[in-house]
Amino acid sequence: MTQQQKKWIIIGVIVLVVIFLISGVKNSYNKMATMDEQITGNWSQVENVYQRRADLIPNLVNTVKGYAAHENQTFTEIVEARAKATSVNITPDKLDAQSLQEFQSAQEGLSSALGRLMVVVENYPDLKANQNFRDLQAQLEGTENRITVERRNFNESVQAYNAFIRMFPKNIYAMIFGFEKRDYFKSLEGSEKAPEVKF
Amino acid sequence: MKKLFLLSIVALFSSFLVSAQTDIFSKPAKEQLVVDQAGVFTEQEITQLKEKLHQFSKETSTQVLIYTTPDLQGYDVGDFAQRLGQSWGIGSKEFDNGIVIVFKPKNSEPGRITIQTGYGIEPLIPDAVANQIIDNEMIPEFKNGNVFNGFNKAIDVCISLTKGEFTAANYESKIKKSENIGGAVFILIIFLITVFSLIGKSRTGRHYNAGTKSNLPLWAALFMLGSGSHRGSGFGDFSSGSGSFGGFGGGSFGGGGASGSW
Repeated sequence: MTQQQKKWIIIGVIVLVVIFLISGVKNSYNKMATMDEQITGNWSQVENVYQRRADLIPNLVNTVKGYAAHENQTFTEIVEARAKATSVNITPDKLDAQSLQEFQSAQEGLSSALGRLMVVVENYPDLKANQNFRDLQAQLEGTENRITVERRNFNESVQAYNAFIRMFPKNIYAMIFGFEKRDYFKSLEGSEKAPEVKF
Repeated sequence: MKKLFLLSIVALFSSFLVSAQTDIFSKPAKEQLVVDQAGVFTEQEITQLKEKLHQFSKETSTQVLIYTTPDLQGYDVGDFAQRLGQSWGIGSKEFDNGIVIVFKPKNSEPGRITIQTGYGIEPLIPDAVANQIIDNEMIPEFKNGNVFNGFNKAIDVCISLTKGEFTAANYESKIKKSENIGGAVFILIIFLITVFSLIGKSRTGRHYNAGTKSNLPLWAALFMLGSGSHRGSGFGDFSSGSGSFGGFGGGSFGGGGASGSW
């Protein structure tokens, strides 16, 4: 083998390695970008279902008012909690731990106001038998389930992404391209399972 | 030493438990739409339900899964059904038109029932309607011990509420953009079905009336005539081959639906 041939073989090998590396980087980059988008998409689903719950509340409050007009304290609380919950929104590029925490606590406030409303409802058997109210109750239950599901989907996509960017050598690419670890939407104690909305 | 031995036994056991818990939601080897783990149906009832549901799936791509279990493994019944539907992929991937009905018989604890709707079913069977199906059609029958009747009635309602929306025709056209095999006749049939399903939808509306038996809408009757040459198996049969079930479609569930207990 001449010196010339050897040189070409070496160049060939280097070119192959570079192509191999580039395609690896490209695949990883695309995967990371897709997973990142997935998280954003799942987050908007989370916000949708919380919005859905907020949308049910005026109707629910009105129905309950028809039977329990003098429970003003509870109504005021729930209306305030709803206003607060709907005012906290997160833009997808700002999904950090702190804003998630704020969102969470505003929604949690609404959950507990709803809980107190349910306690009030217990005292009005006529209300509990009302078909309109029962429909609203079913919708609320379904929405709480949706919240659980969409939160889980969000957290699962965050977990998949975080695991992906930690693997070698993707962790290096992630560092180069600025893909950072994403935050989970942590649940408060015991809210991992769908709460039972029983009246 | 003894302690270590015990510890390893415990670890082994718990790993079994963990795997058993995740296993309940993994896809079964034989995909079918009636799974009676609790043994509440007779052979004949299972066959009857299966025939109805497999036929409906073939006809419209909408899949209804019936799953009975003596033990919900600590899950809430709605949560259980959602996970089941999601991981088995009930309904088609294109429309997310799956429905999962999970039943736990009454024993020392109250009986539990849920209807979970896939994303595509949510507008057709809203939560309040799912709840009314449970309250009006299912629980009264369950209380009398007629589990089969409760299911049969509920399924009929689900079928009549969803059948206008997803027809085999618009399903086919979505998954196979161009198909020339059937030629003019095939296109004509699709055209007729689409027209009649539109008419049928506007005619019957989508409101759920408790207690009324659904009559076969006009378009469905015509649909039967149109596909009568196929094999006379009642409804139209687009997929070729035997009457067997083609498998789950990969649909997703978002937690919509309702649950009840008795």
